[in-house]
Amino acid sequence: MEIKQVVGSLVCTQRIPGLRHADLRVLADPTGRKVVATDPVGARVGNWVYVVSGSAARYAMGDAGYLTDLTIGGIIDFWDAPEAAAAAPREAATPAQAA
Amino acid sequence: MKICQVEKPLVSTNRIPGFEHKHLLVVRDGSTRQVAVDAVGCIPGDWVICVGSSAAREAAGSKEYPSDLTIVGIIDHWDEGA
Repeated sequence: MEIKQVVGSLVCTQRIPGLRHADLRVLADPTGRKVVATDPVGARVGNWVYVVSGSAARYAMGDAGYLTDLTIGGIIDFWDAPEAAAAAPREAATPAQAA
Repeated sequence: MKICQVEKPLVSTNRIPGFEHKHLLVVRDGSTRQVAVDAVGCIPGDWVICVGSSAAREAAGSKEYPSDLTIVGIIDHWDEGA
């Protein structure tokens, strides 16, 4: 599992049925590279999370019917951000819109 | 399989139910840090062997376990420089 920081939410109305109504989050790694992951836990902007990749990402959604290859596995309780995080200036605690 | 060194435990209260209460560890593979499920019981500083892909799921307990990196063994000794 890789460690990443949530940098934003993502709205995507036109999606394939296989993606169902999964919440999507934009994540960045310490180098600043951005990726999108499905989010079954409800992570907020600024949270550090670990992500499950590959086929395990589908099981991590609780149902292998979700067509995803990257899923947030959980929120890290304590994480001292390594070398000045990539992520855009932290738009402090703007609660990611629920659902 | 990858050779990694265990750095520290990772505390995550808010996790998906699929992870159950298994221990998660931050492991270092060279300079990159990753999170692995601990199937053997290791401590910080241990050199370990990690498996990925679908073997990681089965090694963590069942085919449905959502792991993509699982620690499957503690290395007694090896030549780090080799």
